[in-house]
Amino acid sequence: MSDLALVPSTPLLLPEHGSLVDPVPQVRAAARRAVAWLVTRSAGPVLVLSADPLGARVGRALLVAAGWSGPVDELVATASDADPERLPDTVLAVADGTACRGPDAPGGLDPRAAGFDGGVERALREGDPGALAGLDPALAGELLCAGAPVLRLVGRVLGPPASARLDLAEHPFGVRYWVARWEGAGAAGRMPTTARG
Amino acid sequence: MTLRLGRHTFPDDATLMMAIVNRTPDSFYDRGATWAEDRAFDRVAEVVDEGAEIVDIGGVKAGQGPVVDVEEEQRRVVAFVRRVRAAHPGVVISVDTWRAEVARAVCEEGADLLNDAWGGYDPRLAEVAASYGAALVCTHTGGMTPRSAPHRVAYDDVVDAAVRATVAEAERAVALGVDRASVLVDPAHDFGKTTFHSLELTRRLCELTATGWPVLVSLSNKDFVGETLDVPVGERLVGTLAVTALCAQAGARVYRVHDVVPTRQVVDMVRSVTGHRPPARAVRGLA
Repeated sequence: MSDLALVPSTPLLLPEHGSLVDPVPQVRAAARRAVAWLVTRSAGPVLVLSADPLGARVGRALLVAAGWSGPVDELVATASDADPERLPDTVLAVADGTACRGPDAPGGLDPRAAGFDGGVERALREGDPGALAGLDPALAGELLCAGAPVLRLVGRVLGPPASARLDLAEHPFGVRYWVARWEGAGAAGRMPTTARG
Repeated sequence: MTLRLGRHTFPDDATLMMAIVNRTPDSFYDRGATWAEDRAFDRVAEVVDEGAEIVDIGGVKAGQGPVVDVEEEQRRVVAFVRRVRAAHPGVVISVDTWRAEVARAVCEEGADLLNDAWGGYDPRLAEVAASYGAALVCTHTGGMTPRSAPHRVAYDDVVDAAVRATVAEAERAVALGVDRASVLVDPAHDFGKTTFHSLELTRRLCELTATGWPVLVSLSNKDFVGETLDVPVGERLVGTLAVTALCAQAGARVYRVHDVVPTRQVVDMVRSVTGHRPPARAVRGLA
């Protein structure tokens, strides 16, 4: 059974990018709470699953901030890679939604972005891996959803969790950030049997 | 090193603005603008609002002019310190004086810092600081008599002289009982110095910061800026800010200023470039 925390990939979360006034206090607080929850449940290695090396750095930094001193594995999800056979019990997924959520967003305002992100949020909230696995990679690319390969991989290799929650969904700078937790997800195709607590 | 200025303490990465508040009719820059006590009081409120951590109250013009005796200096500053202390408990009150009698009177009224701008001319000043738990600025003037102008002063090495004199005075103050965290050193640009001396002090300020004593610089609108750029008082802000930037890069901690806001911006900008201060709020390219 796997536990999953999903956090944003924004480098604003890296300690070397700290400002006197935190531009993302709520995002940082929610991400830290989710990672703290994840590591208290972990006995073995934590897998940092990201879309690129910068996302991996963000994941590692959050683990350090949470006091995790155990082993950390990294997996960079790309559209072309074959899926791993299974994921470890503890997964820290680092992924953002679209980058087209306003006129000042990196990709400008795209009216399709809210619907795309809304679909992901429903899947995260309801624990629906099938919906994540089915994200359209072409549309994700057009909407600059850099986290799509991570979301799709999670959807393909994890089964439905025993419980799911979406802690945060916002786009202060036009990029959609999420913090979510899945508890007790089985492997794909199998229902979870028990939830650890 | 953590700074302890009377009742106030500051972390070791803090830079501080010391705003000049003259209770004089004849100071070179403001020409008596805050000679009236209410005007000086308003000026304190203004600089505190602008973010100054320290106000430096002076009752005697540094340059030559009419005699101001102890009694007159006390009339100018002692009651004023009491009034500022009551109205602004959060600000560090510094008094610019070389006289132990004046220092004792202002410490009784709550002064936190004694700015001994004439370089230990009255050796009892450090004793007053020690007995009241006040902080002390140790300056280098080359042994000048207070309010005298330099004439053909010469040093083998002005920076070496400033380092030796200020460190010796700092150690003497500590030996007399002043808290080691409450001593600042000031090379005193223009005081007992030619423009060439002040330029060299600025160029080599890192030799003073390397002593480990927190460094105060007093650069604002001074003659070495005016002579270097050939600009009169009133047109020296840009030159002042240029030398301020170099002193900030060298690690000066306290800046005695007429213009709080632009000096604070220059010091903050330089400290961010040198990696000692995070940006206020940086999101560019990081979303």
